[in-house]
Amino acid sequence: MVQAPMARERLFALREEIARLEGKPVPAMAAARHEALAERGGKDKEKHRLPLGVTVLDEALEGGVPLDGLSEIRSSCLRDATASAGFALALCALMQKQAADDAAPILWIADRVTTMEAGVPYPLGLEDYGLDPERFLHAAPRKLDEALWLAETAVESGAFAVTLLEVKGNPAHFGLTESRRLGLRARAAGRPLLLLRQSGEEEASSAAFRFLVEPAPAAIRLLPDRSMLGGSIGNPVFRLTLEKSRNPAPLSLILEWNPHDRQFFPAREPEYARPPLKRAAHPGPRLSASLNRPDRPQEMGPVLAFDQAS
Amino acid sequence: MRLTALDEAAEAIGLKKNQAVAEARAICPKLDVVEEDPAADRRLLDGIADWCDRYTPLVALDGRDGLFLDITGCAHLFGGEKALLQDILSRLFQMGIDARGAISSAPGLSWAISRFGNGGVIADEEMELVLSPLPVAALRLEEETVAALQKLGLKQVGDLIHAPRAPLARRFGAHLLLRLDQALGLDEEPVSPRRPVASLSAERRLAEPVQADEDILHLTGQIALSLKTSLEERGTGGRAFELVLFRIDGRVFRVAAGASQPLRDPRRIAALFSERLQAVHDDLEAGYGFEILRLNVTRHEAFDAAQEDFDGARQKNVSLANFVDRVSARLGEDCLQSFHLRESHVPERAVTAAPAIRTLSSGKGPEKSGVSWSRGDRPLRLFPRPEAVEVSLAEVPEGPPESFCWRRMLHRVSRSEGPERLTMEWWIDGTDARARDYFRIEDDTGHRFWLYREGLYGQLPPPRWFMHGVFA
Repeated sequence: MVQAPMARERLFALREEIARLEGKPVPAMAAARHEALAERGGKDKEKHRLPLGVTVLDEALEGGVPLDGLSEIRSSCLRDATASAGFALALCALMQKQAADDAAPILWIADRVTTMEAGVPYPLGLEDYGLDPERFLHAAPRKLDEALWLAETAVESGAFAVTLLEVKGNPAHFGLTESRRLGLRARAAGRPLLLLRQSGEEEASSAAFRFLVEPAPAAIRLLPDRSMLGGSIGNPVFRLTLEKSRNPAPLSLILEWNPHDRQFFPAREPEYARPPLKRAAHPGPRLSASLNRPDRPQEMGPVLAFDQAS
Repeated sequence: MRLTALDEAAEAIGLKKNQAVAEARAICPKLDVVEEDPAADRRLLDGIADWCDRYTPLVALDGRDGLFLDITGCAHLFGGEKALLQDILSRLFQMGIDARGAISSAPGLSWAISRFGNGGVIADEEMELVLSPLPVAALRLEEETVAALQKLGLKQVGDLIHAPRAPLARRFGAHLLLRLDQALGLDEEPVSPRRPVASLSAERRLAEPVQADEDILHLTGQIALSLKTSLEERGTGGRAFELVLFRIDGRVFRVAAGASQPLRDPRRIAALFSERLQAVHDDLEAGYGFEILRLNVTRHEAFDAAQEDFDGARQKNVSLANFVDRVSARLGEDCLQSFHLRESHVPERAVTAAPAIRTLSSGKGPEKSGVSWSRGDRPLRLFPRPEAVEVSLAEVPEGPPESFCWRRMLHRVSRSEGPERLTMEWWIDGTDARARDYFRIEDDTGHRFWLYREGLYGQLPPPRWFMHGVFA
C-alpha cells in the first residue's frame, strides 16, 4: 500500500522522460496545459508548423511540416530524384515565404553521386519554380561526414530559412544516431531541416514525418479564359505518400505546385495521363485462382507485356 | 668531379674549392665526399629563412648560402644589435648550423664582413676602416674582374677606395664602383624580401611551448585582441589572415584563412582558425610544441562600423558571414557557392557560380540588367554536360521525338512543348555552330525532361539529340 504511490510516481517520471525524448507533450502536464492551449488557440504550435494549404494533409501532419525539426523526403529511385527535389524545393519556397525575414537564404547541401546522376540545381529553373537564385547557396561537400557537419553548422548558425541535405541511398554512416543528432540540433535552433533521401529505402530516423515523392503527369496550362490548352505541360504534380507520421495509416495524395503563387493544390489524376502499365489490362473480373491443382495459373501482372497482349 | 664546398676540417688540411676530387683524395685518403644536392641546400636555406622570420619579416635570400635580414626597427626587441646577432648565431649553432653574421648599415658591407672579415656589429664611422684590409673579392664582383684587379696589384679594397675613380670606371665598368659604393654605404641597396610583408602582425613568444590545438586557438584569440586596436586605428578589418607557428626545433608552419567580410572581432578570427586547424590537423605536427605564434593580416579592407539594432537583422548577416567563413576555412573556398545570372541565352552560360566567400561582402554579384527576354520554362536540375540521347523516331522536320532512349531506358513521350530555338553565340562559338531546338517533354510515367536537338533534319551532318535537364 505504501509502495503503490511511489511506484506510480516513478512510472509517471519514466513516462515523462519517454514523452520528452519523443518530443510529445508531457502527459502529466498535458492536462494542465490543455486548457491553456485551448485559450491560446494553439498559437505556439502553429508558429512552428508550416501548413501546406491542403486540408487532408495538414490534418495528418498535425498542422503542417515542422519548422523546428527534421523532416524526410524520399524518392524510391534516382529517376525520381528531380520530383523529390521539386517537392523539397516547393517546401523551401513556402518556408522562405513564411520566414520572419524574407532575405534569409536557402542552403542546398548536395550529394556528389546524385549531382552526377541527376544534375545540379539550375538557378534559372529555380527562378521559374518560385525561388530567388540570389538567395540560394549550393554546397558540394566531398564526403558524407562533411555534409553532416555542414548541415549541423548551418542549422546552428540560424542564418538560413531552411537547410536541405541531399543524401544518396542509405549510407551506413548516416543512421539513427546521426539523424537523431541532426533532429535535436534543428529543434534546439528552431530551424527547419529537410533530409532529401534519393533512391533510398525506408529507414528508422528521427524525422517526425517522411514523405515518398513520385512524379505524376503535370497539370494542363490554363488559358486566360480559363479553358485548358490541350497537350500542354503546366504546373508540376507530385504523387505524395506520407509514409511516417503519428497517424498509422499511410496517406497518399496528388499535389500540384503552383510556382507563381507559391501554393500547393490538391490535384486529381487525369485519366488520360495515367500510365498504360497501371491501367487494368483486362476490364472484366478475373477468374479465381484454383487452389489445389498443380497447374495453378501464374499471377498475372508484371510478367506480361500488356501493351502487346491487350 | 670537383669540390664545391668544404667544412672546417677540410680547409685545415689545405683543400680548396674547385679542386678535383682525385687530387683531394691524394692529399687526404680518408676524405668523405658527398655529392652536391642543390635542391636540398635550397630547402635548408628556405627553412632557415623561415625560421629567421622570428627576427624580422624582411628576410631575403642571397645566392646559394646567404640570407639578408633587414632588421630596421627590430633590434631593440632583442636587446640591441649585438644581442640580436649573438642570439641568431647561437641558436643556429645549437641547431647544428655553422653560420657567420655581421650587422652594418649597408648590406654590401655586412656581406663582406661576414664572409671575409670577423663579423660583429660595425658602427657607421668605422665602415671604411673595416672594409679597407679585406680582399677585393669581398665586393661581390665577377671572377674575371677580381683576377684582373689582382693582376694590377689592387689586392685590397683599401687600394680601390683611394684609387682615382674615373680610370677604374673606364677600365672595369660602372659595376665595380657601384659595388664599392654599396659596400661603403654611399649607395642605396634594396633588399627584396622573399615573402610579401604583412600589413599588420602581432606575435606572442612563449616560455613554455604549446602543443594542443585549444592552446593555440586561445593564444590566437589573445593575439587577435592585440591586433584589434591597430585595425581600429586604421579603420580597417582583415580579409585574409595567416597564422605563423614557429616550432621549437626550427620548423615553421603557416596556416592561412580568409574571411568573407572584413573582420576585427578576436573571437571570430579565432573561430576561423579553429576550423582551419581542424582541416590541416594532420599536416600540423606539433612535435615538442610551438614557441612563437604570430598572426599576420595579409589583406585588409575598409571596415564599415555598423550599429547593432534591436531587430537582429544585422545579427543574421553576421551569422551568415560567420557560417560562410567557417565552411570555407574548413572545406575550402570552392565548397560553398552562390549563383549569379549572366546575360546569355545559352542555358549553361546564363549562370555563373562563384565561391560565396568572395561574393558575400560585395552584397550582390555582377549587376543584374533590367533587360529580360521572354523564355520558356527552365528545368530544376541541369546536367553540366548534355547527355546524348538516342531518338529513333521524331516528327520531321522539327517536331518532338516519339520516344527516346536515355541511359539505356526507353521513354515514351506522352506530351511535349516546344520547340524553343536557341542559336549559339556566334561571337564565342563561331558562325557554323548549330542551333538547338529545346523541347519540354513528359513521358508516360510523369517524368519531365528538357531535350534538345542540335541541327535540323535533312541537313548534314544529321541532327543529334541531347538530354540537358530534368523538370520537377
